[in-house]
Amino acid sequence: MNTVSDVKRDLWDDANRWPHRCAVALVCATFPLIWIGGLVTTYGAGMAVPDWPNTYGYNLWLYPAETWINGPWKLFVEHGHRLYATLVGLLTIAFLVSAWWCQARPLVLWLGAIALAGVLFQGALGGMRVIQDQVQLAKIHGCFGPAFFAFTVVLAVVTSRRWQQGRLSNQLGLGKIERLAIMTTLLAYCQLVLGSQLRHLPAGARPGDFRFALVFHLLTALALCVAIVFLGLRIVRTQRREPSLLRPALGLASLIMIQVTLGAATWVAKYGWPSWLTDFGFAAAYTVAADSRPQAWITTAHVAAGSLILATSLLIALRSARFARASLPVAAGAWIAEVAR
Amino acid sequence: MNRVAFFRFVLCCVSPLLFAGCGKYDPPQFSLNMVAIAKQQLPFDQQQEVSNILDGMFGTPDKPFVLGQGKSIADSETGLDPKKLAVAAGPVRSDEFGRETGLYRRHCGHCHGTTGDGLGPTAMLLNPYPRDYRPGKFKFKATERAAKPTRADLELIVRHGVQGTAMPAFGLLPDAQVDALVEYVKYLSIRGQVELRLIDAMAELGQDEKLQLTRANLVDEILKPIVESWNTANESIIKPEDKPDVELATSIDKGRELFYGTKGNCAKCHGPSALGDGQTSDYDDWTKPVTELASDLRGEEERLRTDTDLSNEDRVALKMHVALASQALKADSLPPRTAQPRNLRQGIYRGGRRPVDLYRRIYAGINGMPMPAVGPASPGAKGTMEPDEIWSLVDYVLSLPYESISQPPHHQPATLSKANF
Repeated sequence: MNTVSDVKRDLWDDANRWPHRCAVALVCATFPLIWIGGLVTTYGAGMAVPDWPNTYGYNLWLYPAETWINGPWKLFVEHGHRLYATLVGLLTIAFLVSAWWCQARPLVLWLGAIALAGVLFQGALGGMRVIQDQVQLAKIHGCFGPAFFAFTVVLAVVTSRRWQQGRLSNQLGLGKIERLAIMTTLLAYCQLVLGSQLRHLPAGARPGDFRFALVFHLLTALALCVAIVFLGLRIVRTQRREPSLLRPALGLASLIMIQVTLGAATWVAKYGWPSWLTDFGFAAAYTVAADSRPQAWITTAHVAAGSLILATSLLIALRSARFARASLPVAAGAWIAEVAR
Repeated sequence: MNRVAFFRFVLCCVSPLLFAGCGKYDPPQFSLNMVAIAKQQLPFDQQQEVSNILDGMFGTPDKPFVLGQGKSIADSETGLDPKKLAVAAGPVRSDEFGRETGLYRRHCGHCHGTTGDGLGPTAMLLNPYPRDYRPGKFKFKATERAAKPTRADLELIVRHGVQGTAMPAFGLLPDAQVDALVEYVKYLSIRGQVELRLIDAMAELGQDEKLQLTRANLVDEILKPIVESWNTANESIIKPEDKPDVELATSIDKGRELFYGTKGNCAKCHGPSALGDGQTSDYDDWTKPVTELASDLRGEEERLRTDTDLSNEDRVALKMHVALASQALKADSLPPRTAQPRNLRQGIYRGGRRPVDLYRRIYAGINGMPMPAVGPASPGAKGTMEPDEIWSLVDYVLSLPYESISQPPHHQPATLSKANF
């Protein structure tokens, strides 16, 4: 015989399945968009289509597929980026519609509306970057993309069943985990912003500008590594039986190792081995291959992995905040929790 | 961490993000050679005049201009193709047919700088530093030491890159794009040389004298000799005499003697073991103006401190020069690094690995570097080595990666240790 709580859970499942599914689909769709956007910058294809929202005078969706697929690579990447972005926009709308259709909590509806505003804003930023041909706008567009990706993770988390279960019985160390995870998220985003300063160099920049951004990029990387190690250790020590925290923590640790490797590989692929290694034959014989596939994909992978780190640390921050108590420590969090309740 | 400290940290993280991407960048402009200007102590009005003349003769990074644009390329004053320059210059763009512009900015500018001064944003972190095109000197070429590189020389470097450095191989670019980039490098180099000549001409002017802005002065006297040196580069290609028919082992032995002997004295810089660990106190020709200016600056600062007999007028002039030189060294130069002789045991030769490439390297030395020429300085003159000796040296250098490092060299000059410098 079903208990009242079983019935409630089943009702919740039926009513909330679609928003969560849409949110997960949105997360899965947004991550490749980060890759494609990264490729646009890597290949210098940002101005491969000079008009917006049209493509060479055609409506975006009506641009001849044959010309797009068989055309120049830069056109393929840039127009593909635009097409794919509209898919992400449609999925965001789908999320909002499903939330409304399933009578989701007001919090979810609000978050859906914010996501829709975000994706529209990001699209407009991309368009302005093209129309005004401004590297600065490209930089903001590049920084807002990962922020939107992280926001889609928020949608997936707050619509998940695990979120509904709320407070954990084991409260050990959750406050510290939450603070460490917020710190890690902020550091990860700072790191993305610094990375975008390195990628979107204005033509008139001087040697000091790049060195400044690079030094801070490396220092923030170090701080991020330390923060992730502390966060992981804290979770392993206090919440090892909670897979919804342990798994992302392990994922984050793996990601940071991959990311550091990718960062070093990006430098080598773009500028060669450091001079202090040229006593070794492999470094002395190495020639950087401009616009080669390894160069392009390693650099873009470094960009994409940064977004994954941001999203994963935010996931831990959200879950730990939710598990710690019904209310979140900051005013915004308290409001979210209030609505959620 | 207490809560207040935590929120302070959050605020520190968030506040820079609010301003990320703010600030407007103007379209890139060519910058003046401030090291040369400071060396010649040009006042501001003359600096402005140099800048105006250069803009009039060469245009801007977005819209390059060459004199005689309406004429055929052969008849134009610069011999440069404006169509190729238009492809290489300007902001990065491409169209539906795959035609690209802004190639220099996309592929080269971040290291070599908008002006081709080797002061791009990444330059400071690279070793060796990116080439400064403005003096018109290029290291790896098939021509006589002081001659300009041929078009083929520049294409070779662009296409194949330089091993062990940040200079990439642009072999994946279409021929037309490589061609356009080479043309733009020539353009920047000619522009830079004209700038240096203008600075010198300004410095030679007496008080109240003005530079004659006439065609005869600017084009015939300053521009044309520079363009001529580029156009006649093909006539300066080193054509080695045939390699003598000598047994390889004999030739290598002879090359070894030359390498360690007083005639070649290659070991002085390349080291007793040819590991590139010999003398490393010399600077290249791109760095020397910086070190000279730094030395002048030190002298002037010392004079300002110690010379009590300086008149007020002289003191003010000296202070202005100190300020100009300090600014030039701070903003328009990179920290000097000494020239590094090649480690010949690695078998990696940046100017090409064919025997003929090494022959040319030894014959003409490396332009702008302490590596001297052993061939004749001019046609008809006598060099320090005969062609058969150069070939022997080539054989020895090519054998070095296979020679045991423990094999004792025949001769070790006394002043090879790094500690002596």
